[in-house]
Amino acid sequence: MKLDNMKAQMRKGVLEMCILSLLSVEAMYTSDIIERLRHSQLVVVEGTLYPLLTRLKNAGFLEYYWMESNYGPPRKYFKITQEGRTFLNGLKDSWTEINEAVSLTSQKPQL
Amino acid sequence: MKQFLSLRKNHNYKMNKTININLGGYAFTIDEDAFEAANHYLHTLTRHFGGSEGAVEIMQDIESRMGELVNKNKGSKVIVSKVDVLEAISVLGTPEELKDVDFSETQSGEKKTTTGSFQIKTGKRLYRDPDDKVIGGVCSGLASYFGIQDAVWVRVAFVLLSMAGGASAVIYAVLWAIVPPAKTVSERLEMMGEPTNVNNIARMVKEELEELGDKLQDTFNKKSHKHHHRQPPRGDDKDQMMTSGWSWDFKSHTPEKVESPAPYNHKDFV
Repeated sequence: MKLDNMKAQMRKGVLEMCILSLLSVEAMYTSDIIERLRHSQLVVVEGTLYPLLTRLKNAGFLEYYWMESNYGPPRKYFKITQEGRTFLNGLKDSWTEINEAVSLTSQKPQL
Repeated sequence: MKQFLSLRKNHNYKMNKTININLGGYAFTIDEDAFEAANHYLHTLTRHFGGSEGAVEIMQDIESRMGELVNKNKGSKVIVSKVDVLEAISVLGTPEELKDVDFSETQSGEKKTTTGSFQIKTGKRLYRDPDDKVIGGVCSGLASYFGIQDAVWVRVAFVLLSMAGGASAVIYAVLWAIVPPAKTVSERLEMMGEPTNVNNIARMVKEELEELGDKLQDTFNKKSHKHHHRQPPRGDDKDQMMTSGWSWDFKSHTPEKVESPAPYNHKDFV
């Protein structure tokens, strides 16, 4: 059991939730999503994100539309679907539970 | 002798050909070596993601993002250099960095065979080495192929054999004619028997650039110019334009496994 491996697993677990959260606020272009995730140190290289987005889209949680760009070819913008919102709420509930469990177990017992 | 050697080395300076490509909807004029790097990268990723659901779509996304990144790196330059491509690759991630990405719908289930290594070819191939040659680079190529450290021994053997019998001169000529020279980076890696993966190519390119930087520094030392080591091999004004109109077409390079078209819905385009 390696620390790096555990870290990667934990990141992977919350990454989808973070993407859905970001997109629940506004529709975003892929590189904007990456920029936001990189700020939070969740994604190191961009390539990891494309399979994930495609998977979420195929699952019906995301959809995309094409937007004309002034600088080059049209860009793909992702936005969340109603189904995705329901899924996100489920994830958030379970996240809250985990969060509570972690803080309960890592606290020093009060005497 | 030393002077001769350095002279010979300097004569090996090569100009880059340029190729016109379409990368993710962006039109580029790109150096041949930069093209090789980009092409190899996309092929390797295609293999990596091949067979997974939505592979075509993933690769289209990656290709258009790569075009965007290269366009950004290129800046106001006319021609895309290898450094621009390698920087884009470092942002997107090498296949090694992407290998533990879970891209399939099924979390468990059969492990993809592609997740092991991302080498396209591991076999050694016989090439002539144009960067280390006396006549045709046959001996240095043979030395690399058989893992002999110094090509001088192969040359000595050839000379001795030609004095003894005379057939080796003929053999040399035949080999010169039929063995191809290792021109591109991936061919040179094959010559040395190293697996052609993106990391190796990136390392090799870095070495080449550093070597070029050293050469430039040698040349300009007298004028006490300080040169950056990672100076890209540019010679834009000397570059030969080769308007082949080559374009990297993802679909034609997809492995046979991927047969299902991208699951496009009508609403995708709304």
